[in-house]
Amino acid sequence: MFKEFAKGLSITLKHLLPGHSTTVDYPKQKLTMSPRFRGLHRLVPTQTREKCVACYLCPTVCPAKCITVESAENEKGEKYPKVYKIDLLRCIFCGYCVEACPVEAIEMSDKYELANYKREDFIFDKERLLK
Amino acid sequence: MVNLTIDGKEVKVSKTATIYEAAKEAGIYIPVLCYAKKLLPYGACRVCLVEVEQMKGRLIPSCTTPVTAGMVVTTMSDEIRKVRKTVLEFLLVNHVVDCPVCDKAGECDLQDLSYEYEVVTNRFAGEKFDLPKDEINPLIERNMNRCVLCGKCVRVCDEVVGYGSYSFINRGFETKIATAFDRGLNCEFCGQCVSLCPVGAILPRPFKFKARPWQLKEVNSVCGYCGNGCTVTFGTKDNEVQTIRFNDKTGVNDGNLCIRGRFGATYVNSDQRLTSPLIRKDGELVEASWEEALEKVTEGLRSAGSSAGIISGARLTNEELFLLKNLAKAVGTGNLDHSGGECYKGVTEGLHETLGLQASTATFPQVEKANAILAIRNDFYETHPVFGMVVNQAVKRNNAHLTVIGDKQGKLTRMPHARNLQHKPGLEVNILNAMCRFLLDEKLAKTDGLQGVEELQEALADYAVDAVTAAAGVSADAIKQSAKELVSAENAAILLAYGLPYTAYSRELGLAAANLALLTGIAGRSGSGLYLCGEKSNSQGAIDQQILPAAGALGVSGMLKSASEGKLKALYVTGEDMLVSYPDKGLVEKALDKTPFVVVQDLFLSETASKADVVLPAASFAEKSGTFTNAERRIQRLHPGIKSPGQAKTDFAIFQALLTGFGAAVPATEAAAFMALAATTPGYEMVGLEMIGDQGYVWGGETLVPEIRNLVAVTGGKALEAKYQLVVGSALYHSGTTSVHAKGPMSVVSEPYIEFGREDAAELKIVDGQQVKLKAAGGEISAKAKVDRRLPKGVLFAPYHFGSLKLNRIYNGQASIAVEISK
Ligand code: SF4
Ligand code: SF4
Ligand code: SF4
Ligand code: SF4
Ligand code: SF4
Ligand code: FES
Repeated sequence: MFKEFAKGLSITLKHLLPGHSTTVDYPKQKLTMSPRFRGLHRLVPTQTREKCVACYLCPTVCPAKCITVESAENEKGEKYPKVYKIDLLRCIFCGYCVEACPVEAIEMSDKYELANYKREDFIFDKERLLK
Repeated sequence: MVNLTIDGKEVKVSKTATIYEAAKEAGIYIPVLCYAKKLLPYGACRVCLVEVEQMKGRLIPSCTTPVTAGMVVTTMSDEIRKVRKTVLEFLLVNHVVDCPVCDKAGECDLQDLSYEYEVVTNRFAGEKFDLPKDEINPLIERNMNRCVLCGKCVRVCDEVVGYGSYSFINRGFETKIATAFDRGLNCEFCGQCVSLCPVGAILPRPFKFKARPWQLKEVNSVCGYCGNGCTVTFGTKDNEVQTIRFNDKTGVNDGNLCIRGRFGATYVNSDQRLTSPLIRKDGELVEASWEEALEKVTEGLRSAGSSAGIISGARLTNEELFLLKNLAKAVGTGNLDHSGGECYKGVTEGLHETLGLQASTATFPQVEKANAILAIRNDFYETHPVFGMVVNQAVKRNNAHLTVIGDKQGKLTRMPHARNLQHKPGLEVNILNAMCRFLLDEKLAKTDGLQGVEELQEALADYAVDAVTAAAGVSADAIKQSAKELVSAENAAILLAYGLPYTAYSRELGLAAANLALLTGIAGRSGSGLYLCGEKSNSQGAIDQQILPAAGALGVSGMLKSASEGKLKALYVTGEDMLVSYPDKGLVEKALDKTPFVVVQDLFLSETASKADVVLPAASFAEKSGTFTNAERRIQRLHPGIKSPGQAKTDFAIFQALLTGFGAAVPATEAAAFMALAATTPGYEMVGLEMIGDQGYVWGGETLVPEIRNLVAVTGGKALEAKYQLVVGSALYHSGTTSVHAKGPMSVVSEPYIEFGREDAAELKIVDGQQVKLKAAGGEISAKAKVDRRLPKGVLFAPYHFGSLKLNRIYNGQASIAVEISK
């Protein structure tokens, strides 16, 4: 019984030694996210425009109903999203939108610093999502 | 009846049914692509293949194979699944995979089938089509890369619409659907092909990229334009009517619509709509509150009392008209009338004197089975286009004999074997008289039980066929032949349209048509009928509700005349732009100027409204509930699809408020109003709101039996002696003055025109699009010329919908106007 206790304590003590801490000194120090991490969304650009063709699959599949798309026709007669907005306060970062997209126009980045002071600042419109 | 087994289920169907129809009736699903209920079986796509035990060894297309007794059908097996999947794979070899941008995605038959049959890979390889798109015309986009060659567009345009725009061109893999010489589409733009295309090859341009089908809310209602009363299904989103969607489950129109119904409903979204009441202050119309406006109206009407006049449009619902009538009573005036004074006299007076009725005697679907049809005023398909499609089907499917009496040609006259009695303008009555005379002389007429046979025979002494032929310019044989066909047909129909641009001889035409209907035995016989079709969506309702002058009181023309002499103290106009659409603009102007208090209730600040003292913003048909009664007496319900803009109110709510102001009893809801009106309206007594189902409810039954059978002699017209004469009418693309606020119709016909026949144009050296001037007694009008083949020499035509033409400066309700042409 005592033996096990000492063994456990030794692990604890070992972690207290310098160089063994798992705590990150945020914000001075930042971790790299794993590739499958679901952070802030990004609309993928092509050379001339956003890749999105405004098919409405992401707003349809979104369980939190936080995506707004409004389609329109551009000068070239192509369908494009005149409005593309995500309300991050409602988003549950499920990633369904990414999965639904038939043209791989939306992806989730590794950005996780999403705190803000005003509610309006949580609305990510097309310009912000294209960055 | 035939018995057969489908998937182990005993089914009993009529022997003309196909396997597909039998299965459908039994609730068994078979997928289809090229099949459509209203088209003839075609069998192009092979998606509907099934196994029939008696025909082992191959699969049978269920949509074209008639049932036989004892047939044993299997609709699904491994083999069938495999074959159907292969069919889809073949279709998808060249089909572009545009679904993300294709407006059809979500309601596309090909997409749905590919999903159902799990076509995720394709065993066949091939090049995707890369054909140019047709985006030249304003309303219909054609992208043949998505076409599956089901031929539905070709078939509907030919079989139902009767226009014949498309056909298949080229062969094999190169096959595609194209118009003549593969040019851009230039047609009626009814959009029937749009509604039938199972894929995204033919799409409505105004709706392009607006929304996904699943985002739209569907609301069934009734088209607000003409008296045909087609049911429409709004697709609404963001409080706007985005599109009109295909629906063949309600109404009698089988999903058929014309350009106005399909592309013309969007005026309800217009930003020009009135959003608040306006009151004239220091000569200007300024926004005001409802309280203030209503108070003013109540005050004005009250002080006018019996010298107030009320003129209503015929696009108000029955309930609204009922309240309006009560309002007239509360005000204490009998001066109440609707739509243009003279134009509906054919029904209200003509039919009343002869048959004791004020409505058509039969319903539209019966015409499909008619053997002989007489259409008076050939542009019937322009006034009631979907009824025109019924006539087309009768002629093409049933070999009906069609005779057209009209002063210009039209789609009906171009139909196979149509007999065209193209006459000099204003002589319709003479021809009808000649037919009556012929029937009487030859003892063909069915005179049993008719009053006034001898008197009529005497009175028609001057209308012997030969005398009329010379004057009217039609052949004697044609008159005789048509009369014979009508009297000997098992089922026959006489059709007559009436409306604001056809005020001349309205009563006489009604009488003459009714005489003929009596002599041929058509009136009141089951399967046959006399059809009087009102111009507006609720013309018949207005007549049923008796929106007509009380005994001794003034009708529209009387009101305008007396107003112009300063004898009316107030004029209340609802839903009519009289300055544009009524004959004799000068008179209307004077009437509005001389009346001290004018109220106009409308959707837009029309020319008439801008002259008013108070303008009340009303709601459109897409914003209200209530009922319309169409030209075949079918009562149908409206359902609101969107909310009115700003403070606009339904006419119902406005009348409610006014009635309250007068201290009168007011029904609280449309439903209560319907109950009240049904109790007092002849023919409606037994009708309850709950009886009005998807097909509406025809008051008086399918066949309305005449109450009297009284022949009334009527004198014909005289041909106008003038080198050039102008006839006024309506154009297919427009309806009244409302459609000029709708983008669809405006994108096809955006401005007034004066139409010339080719001969005249050549002689006068006038080319299409050239500005021309017409001088007539009363003034001069000017518009672009349109050269076509419809008109005989010496006759010109102008549509009456556009205010800018000022047509009613020279049109005073006469059958035709003598004009001089200059460039
Ligand atoms: S699913 Fe993709 S293409 Fe479709 S709207 Fe969303 S981001 Fe755009
Ligand atoms: S027609 Fe149907 S299958 Fe073809 S691209 Fe459009 S939605 Fe997809
Ligand atoms: S819009 Fe109507 S007339 Fe034109 S091609 Fe289509 S079905 Fe035919
Ligand atoms: S255009 Fe549409 S309706 Fe016409 S054949 Fe092709 S798929 Fe069928
Ligand atoms: S305008 Fe008349 S024919 Fe055309 S859709 Fe409307 S009700 Fe039907
Ligand atoms: S639906 Fe039967 S062959 Fe097309």
